[in-house]
Order: sequence, then C-alpha cells, then structure tokens
Amino acid sequence: MQHTFIAKNPSVLWFLLGLSLFTVFVTIFSEAVGSTGISTSFLKTLGKTLCLCLVAIAMDVVWGYCGILSLGHFAFFGIGGYAIGMWLMYERTKNIVVGSLENNILPPTPEEVDTAIGTQIFGVVGSSEFPLIWAVSHSLTLQLLAVVLVPGMLALAFGWLAFRSRVTGVYLSILTQAMTLALSLYLFQNDTGLRGNNGLSGLQNIPGLEAVSQATLSLWFFWASAFALGAGYVFFAWMLAGKFGSVIRAIRDNEARIRFLGYNVEHYKLLIFTTTAMIAGIAGALYYPQAGIINPAEIAPIASIYLAVWVAIGGRGRLYGAVIGAVFVSLMSSWFTGGSAPDINLGFYVVKWTDWWLVLLGLTFVGVTLFFPKGVGGLFDLISNYREKHQ
Amino acid sequence: MSTLLEVSGVSVSFDGFKAINNLSIQIGDTELRAIIGPNGAGKTTFMDIVTGKTKPDEGYVIWGEKSSSLLDMSESQIAQAGIGRKFQKPTVFEAQTVRENITMALKNPRRPLDLLFNRAAPDTENRVRAVSDDIGLTDALDQLSGALSHGQKQWLEIGMLLAQDPRLLLVDEPAAGMSETEREQTTDILVRAAKTRAVVVVEHDMEFVRRLNCRVTVLNQGSVLAEGSLDHVTQNQDVIDVYLGR
Repeated sequence: MQHTFIAKNPSVLWFLLGLSLFTVFVTIFSEAVGSTGISTSFLKTLGKTLCLCLVAIAMDVVWGYCGILSLGHFAFFGIGGYAIGMWLMYERTKNIVVGSLENNILPPTPEEVDTAIGTQIFGVVGSSEFPLIWAVSHSLTLQLLAVVLVPGMLALAFGWLAFRSRVTGVYLSILTQAMTLALSLYLFQNDTGLRGNNGLSGLQNIPGLEAVSQATLSLWFFWASAFALGAGYVFFAWMLAGKFGSVIRAIRDNEARIRFLGYNVEHYKLLIFTTTAMIAGIAGALYYPQAGIINPAEIAPIASIYLAVWVAIGGRGRLYGAVIGAVFVSLMSSWFTGGSAPDINLGFYVVKWTDWWLVLLGLTFVGVTLFFPKGVGGLFDLISNYREKHQ
Repeated sequence: MSTLLEVSGVSVSFDGFKAINNLSIQIGDTELRAIIGPNGAGKTTFMDIVTGKTKPDEGYVIWGEKSSSLLDMSESQIAQAGIGRKFQKPTVFEAQTVRENITMALKNPRRPLDLLFNRAAPDTENRVRAVSDDIGLTDALDQLSGALSHGQKQWLEIGMLLAQDPRLLLVDEPAAGMSETEREQTTDILVRAAKTRAVVVVEHDMEFVRRLNCRVTVLNQGSVLAEGSLDHVTQNQDVIDVYLGR
C-alpha cells in the first residue's frame, strides 16, 4: 500500500528528498553549529518561509484542488499564532513577575501574582484584568489544542453556514474575505483582550529555555518547520491520492454533476475547508515564535490575498507548485523591498523597487493568470512532455 | 410489473411561466419508456424534478416500495436511493481518466471518511472493467476523458450511470450528435439496461424512439398529451396537431 502510494506520487519522494537536503545544508551552515554561513536572522527567515510553504499547500488544497477560493486562510494562520503566543507571553511574564516578587519579605499571594502578570501584559491597553479568552493561557497543552481547534471550529461553523446555503465562487470569496476583515478589526480593538494593535510580542523567548541561545532555538524551530512542512505535504498527498482526490477535483470542475452521482458535496467541502484551516493554524503557531511578534495587521485580508497570489504563480492543483510559489514570491519580495534591487533610472523618473514591487507583483499575477494558468509548476509538465516526445 | 416511480399532479412555474402543469406519469420497475414532445414541453424540467434539482410548486413524487417522497430529499440522497441521470450535454470529468470517472460512479459508500479510510473497495478493478466492456471503452481506461470523441463521452456517461447501478435511469437525448452506428450501439446499451431496471429516455429523434420499440409518453405544455405505443401516439390527432403537424 505504502509502496504503491509513493510509486503513484513520485513528487512526494522528490519533495521529501529536497527538503531533507535543504535542512541538512542549512543546519551545517547555521551559527548554532559554529558556522557563520547563515546568520540567525536569515535562519529565522528560512524557517518562516517553510511555514509559509505549509499554509500555501493548505491554500492549494482548498483552492487548486477543491475550487474554493478562500480569502480567509491567512486568518486561520494568524489564529494559530495568537493561540501559541498567548501561552508564550503568559508563561514568560509569569516567570519574570515571580522572579521579581521573590525578594519580597512576604511571599506574594496568587492574586497578587495574577494582578502583576495582568498589569504587565495588559498595561498597554490600560487594563490589568485577564479577559475570558485567556482562561487557559497558563496551560501549554490547552493552548496547543487551541492552535488547531479554534481555526478548525471557526472554519467548521463558517463553512457549514456557507456551503449549506450553496454559496460558491466569487460570493464565497467575498464572504471569507469579510470574515477575515471582521476578525482583524475585532483584534484591533483594545478591549477584545488580545492587546489591540500592539499584538503579542516577545514570542521568540521560549519560557523554560532561557538558557538556550537564539541561534540554537532558531535552528530547532527551523527543524520543526521543516518537519511540519514535510508531514503536511505527505498528509495532503495521501488525502488527495485515489478516489477521495478524484471526488475533490470533480467538485472543483463540476459541482452539480458530482451531486447527481450521489456525493454530498457540502460534506466534502466542509472536510477540506476545516482540515486546511487546522493545518494553517499549525503553520501559524510555528511561524510567529520565529517572527517574535504578531499583531492584527498580519491577519488583514491582504495577507490572504497574497496567499492566493503565491498559489496562482506557483501553479494551482499541484502541491509542489504552492511551495514554489511561496518560496519564489516571498524571497523576491524580500529582495525587492529590502533595498537590494537596483533602482532603475528612466531619466525623467526613478523606479524605486520598494514602491513599485507591489505593482510588479500585481502585473505578474495578472500575466500568469492570463497566459500561464498552470503557473511556474507548469514548467515541469513541459519537461516531462519533452522527455516523452524524445523517447 | 409494479410501479417504481409515481409523479402525480405536479406543477412548477418559473416567473409565471408554467413549465409543468398538473403532470402525472408512472414508471414501472423494469420498463423502457420514451418521453417525446416539442421544445418547451417540460421534458428536462420533469427530470429536474425527479432528480431533486427543481422543487415543484405542488404535487407528489413517490418512489419505490416504501412509497417515500422524493421531494424531501437532496440531489445526492435521491442519487443514492437509486435514480441516475444522464445530461443532455455530455458532462464527464474531462480532467480525469475514464477509469477515475467510472470509479467515482461505482456503487460504493459515498461519505468522505469512507473514501479516505476504506480505499480498497472490493473488486473495484473488475467492476470498472465490466462497465467499460459494456460501453466499449476498455482500451481507453487510462485516457483523459476530455480526449474522447463526443460519442464516446456520451457512452462514458451512460457507463457511469450503469456503474451507479440505479433502479431508474433518466437519459436526456442520448443520441444527440451521434453517428448512425453509434446510435445503434446506444440503443443496444439502453435496451439491455432496461431488462433489469427502469429506463426513461427523453428524445427528439423519432427514428431513435422507433428503434427503442417501447411505450411512449408525449408531453406538451407541461402535461401528458398521449401515451401508448409509438404507432398509437403518432395516429393521435392531438399529437399530430402539436408535434408532427407543425
């Protein structure tokens, strides 16, 4: 069974091989093992990119395979980040607070500790009370569960309402975008309990691991991200192989027809929507400790649109296409906006890439959609067609 | 022969236009029936109602021995209850192979988790082959179905219907766009299928209907105008007036 799965999906093997080689390569050159080839901040960028690849795969499954253009998957990614961030922030603040109160003559009461933690965390929004949603922030296990369950439940509820009413196509995209916008506006408010536009910060400091250097921690997170990406890739490839994948692609191509074959389209969509939302949550939970900070701007609709752009440029309907798109576009983006790209002097006007990169990206997106609907991943088809012809 | 499907007193209107007007039709459990009628007579709407795509304004649609009402069921539930439908325009999944198309149609559990965790459905290969032999597409099993000819797509769709193993087949203009030999083969497939189940064929083409050699229902303006053998209905004055005379 396992043998036939790999035989039928050779790209899975190639992908895992490439990912392992990349991981080994990066490890060898990382500061954590004494090398200077890859700086810790660049190592974090690489680890974050792997997380973006994971959420891009999820987006590809929901859009490229199942035909649901969700503009909300980056919101699920953000929720995953917030869920882990709450524990990181609570636990670290508690350690600091307990440390500073230790010198008091009278041992602090639990209430005093609580208030002190609350003041530390919520002082920026003028409060010291713990909001209800922080009720389980002391428990790593529960917050880890929240990383998958909160996006999952939200996707389940939203999907159930939308799919049951047979909202499809651009209307569904608009609905998902509205959900994303509503969520980010909600988080922007100071009194929603997640520190408003300050977001959660200091997430790169992992409680209990203060003795471990950032270089080593970053490498651990890089490994975890690589593992999650590999596991996610295999999971989705397994899911989409065989008849289940057939039905999913059939829903994309002709939803009404597959209904008359006796398949309950809503159940399939709901399963795909929810599963990908949960994976997006996991990706976010790995991303934000590497980024160090999360705030509501991360969840804004534009981020989810970026996600769709990556998948379109990389190639819809193939998992490695999503990975190519995410890597390619996010690296290009940091090159162009990082000031490394040379300005173009047109004589009458100087094109500064920091300003014009988004325009270039937009034009690329339009061009790819119009002229290369298969995206960069489509190049692999050209190669295999060429080989077949010349055999 | 007992009644498998009973449509009684059904009416439906779209924006004031009565597409179906007090229509009553009964189909037996092993019957081949042709439904003919001029454009706009309500043939396709009749199929839409039976398969759950359109809900009628009034009337009953009763199914099977248990006399369950189809009006309370969704499209997928109706399909699972044993009603298969072939559309006028061949609609197969062109981006997938013939084998994948037939496999999806095979009568098997259809819930998502069944498909994910119970992959080796018994005997899939043989059952796919039996269907493909029936429709003459065994050699094309691994081709993309988008690469098939028009006639082959029609057969594939009929094959997908047979793979569902329905008790009632609704077939909308199966011979449209087919060559003479393809039509003959299509007639054979349908007549063979009707030996073990009910088959309802909607057709424009009188020659094709004659070849089916079965009971004919003539629809006009959303209700039944005449019913009987083809010779019987073609001699009916009303039928001549609305259908043949024009």
